[in-house]
Amino acid sequence: MRKDYQLPKFYDRLVCRTGAVSQAVGSAYIELRNTKIICAVYGPREVAKKQEFNIQATVACELKFATFSCRRRRRHIQDSQEKEYSQIIVQALQPVVRLDKYPKSQIDIFITVLQNDGSVLGGAITAASVALADSGIEIFDVAIGCCLRQIGDLSLIDPTYLEEEGRLNNEEEDEIVTNANVTIALLPSLNQVSALIMNGELDVDSTQRIIKDCLEGCIRIYPVVRECLTKSLEEKMSRN
Amino acid sequence: MAAEVGNPVIPGQRLGSIDQFSAGLGTYVRQRHIYASLVGYKDIISQAGQLPKIQIKTGNVSCNLPTIGKVVTAKVLNVNPRFCRVLIICIGTTPLKEPFKGTIRKEDIRATEKDKVDMYNCFKPGDAVLAEVISLGDPRSYYLSTAKNELGVIFAKSTAGHPMVPISWTEMQCPHTEKIELRKVAGIKYWTDS
Amino acid sequence: MSSSTLSEGRKQFIVDGVTQDCRADGRRCIDFRRFQIETGIVSNTNGSARLRQYGTDVLVGIKAEIGQPKQERSNTGHLEFYVDCSSYNTTEIDGHIGDFTTQLTKSLERIYDSENVLDLKSLTIIAGEQVWVLYIDAVVLECCGNLLDCISIAVKAALYNTRIPGVSVNDEEGVLELEISDDPNDEKKLSIDKVPVIVSCNKIGHRYVVDATQEEECCSSGRLLIAVNDRNNICSLQKSGTGSLDPSTIFEMIETARQAAVPLNQELLQTLKREERSNNDKCGFFAN
Repeated sequence: MRKDYQLPKFYDRLVCRTGAVSQAVGSAYIELRNTKIICAVYGPREVAKKQEFNIQATVACELKFATFSCRRRRRHIQDSQEKEYSQIIVQALQPVVRLDKYPKSQIDIFITVLQNDGSVLGGAITAASVALADSGIEIFDVAIGCCLRQIGDLSLIDPTYLEEEGRLNNEEEDEIVTNANVTIALLPSLNQVSALIMNGELDVDSTQRIIKDCLEGCIRIYPVVRECLTKSLEEKMSRN
Repeated sequence: MAAEVGNPVIPGQRLGSIDQFSAGLGTYVRQRHIYASLVGYKDIISQAGQLPKIQIKTGNVSCNLPTIGKVVTAKVLNVNPRFCRVLIICIGTTPLKEPFKGTIRKEDIRATEKDKVDMYNCFKPGDAVLAEVISLGDPRSYYLSTAKNELGVIFAKSTAGHPMVPISWTEMQCPHTEKIELRKVAGIKYWTDS
Repeated sequence: MSSSTLSEGRKQFIVDGVTQDCRADGRRCIDFRRFQIETGIVSNTNGSARLRQYGTDVLVGIKAEIGQPKQERSNTGHLEFYVDCSSYNTTEIDGHIGDFTTQLTKSLERIYDSENVLDLKSLTIIAGEQVWVLYIDAVVLECCGNLLDCISIAVKAALYNTRIPGVSVNDEEGVLELEISDDPNDEKKLSIDKVPVIVSCNKIGHRYVVDATQEEECCSSGRLLIAVNDRNNICSLQKSGTGSLDPSTIFEMIETARQAAVPLNQELLQTLKREERSNNDKCGFFAN
């Protein structure tokens, strides 16, 4: 467990590549320390389910942990945690996509977590945004996701699995030991938050502080994502 | 003035102000500034009498959706007395990765004598047709029309299984059996000139 | 209400009203609607509560059963939630009803099933093997907006009302046997001082409202769920809805929700204590 509060340099944290899935319209592969996530985007295509006529596009997301990705083997059918993450990612990306440009169509995002070592939700949101940018679907901004875990006085950005699950217990009766985690999706150019989940027990000032720290964590990932997209653009242009 | 190929940009980056430029392909306007909405190279195109236009040049094929007025190539799936269902496989000259469903209603097949149309003498399942998108339609399909000279069947196989040759606006002939079958034929320049 | 059934004119009316701090029913932006809460109405449960408000009727029942602990937390009991919306008119929900109930259930689980909220360690019987599992089921009979807040208030009241029977562990020849006592005096109460209530803040136009009605929810461009407990600490935050929020708006919403939650928590606790003392005979749901 990290003993010191350190906002690590962004290059150490995130590895990002596009074009991981050649069949998909857009795709991305993200490595956040030991967490590995792959994302594929299909669309805009015909609305699969029999839904009402929608003059805007619909964003649908399916997140799945590979059965071997976590410490305990997961089921091959999507369970409630994966469904919840999928819904959060849809809500995080809906403000980002230019829905009015693609009437009566559906944009499908498929995310597979190949290895789970913490910070999955933040990494998945970033992977999905990079895949959307790679796909040529018009978007307002690239959403960046980041997780933060607060244990006692320590703030840990991008916690590993052990850090997420570990708790500091009260050593004395009256002591309130804070155990909180927060995941945020930020749209850097627009300075808007498109997803926010926080759990724990904190007073209002601490809540504000960890939200601000997490936002800063998102901002620090932005240059890595920008460099990845720029590099993939140059590769595509040189191939044509 | 020739257009300049600028720096690579990603969605969300500011490109210019609307006082000096106008927004083009791949950009959007927010609070008097133009921002990029695609990954690509910034491109400035001068326009006579207007503000220069900023657009984004990408390496991607832009996402293609059937929009009103576009001519599409579709394959006929089934025919019924009121309409026929088709599968849109190309938009303009770009083939689609995934097809969309379309419908050609009886009254949209021809421009003249719309009530005298017999569906089975216009299309048969398996034919390839050129059609124009007239409406976004209902949730299940787009509405298409072949009510122009250059729209209609461009490829059909006879009951014997051979590709047929068009001989008039309403007839196609099988080259092997010399049997004539009725279709609503597209008047493509190659055929109408000869 | 499905957003497509509200006309543009009505939406504009609501947005303009909120901007002037006067909502369609006359409330201010931070006012809650009055509601009635009753506990102990379903006899087969260990704890139950019913919340009634104009247009909203939610019934929560808690059953405690002995079961296996969760794999990651083998020394504590846990809570399992289920929200049943089948009586609630399904055409009024945008999207699939399964997704809607999953979202509610998962939010409740994330907020309440935690050591920060209840003393789950006290629910252990035999560490690692047998624990008390509290099955909390909410039945939505009808709803007029702000469903999650209502369910959370009813859950808090039901937890206050919950009595867990005493269990004695007998070790006979190496086999552990559990005996549940029938003695009503041997029952355990749960401490609810850390249990939060959820206050949802909806962003309508440039202002935010608390306790939104169905129509106001259709006009909202973003929603923040804030769980506040009796100590005025924030237990959970979740942003939902399709719009995005400015960070400064988020901080203001947190402050607004906290201010709205203070009188809510106090009144709720007083009402629950008063009800417990008076011990009225319950005479059926629709009798009064």
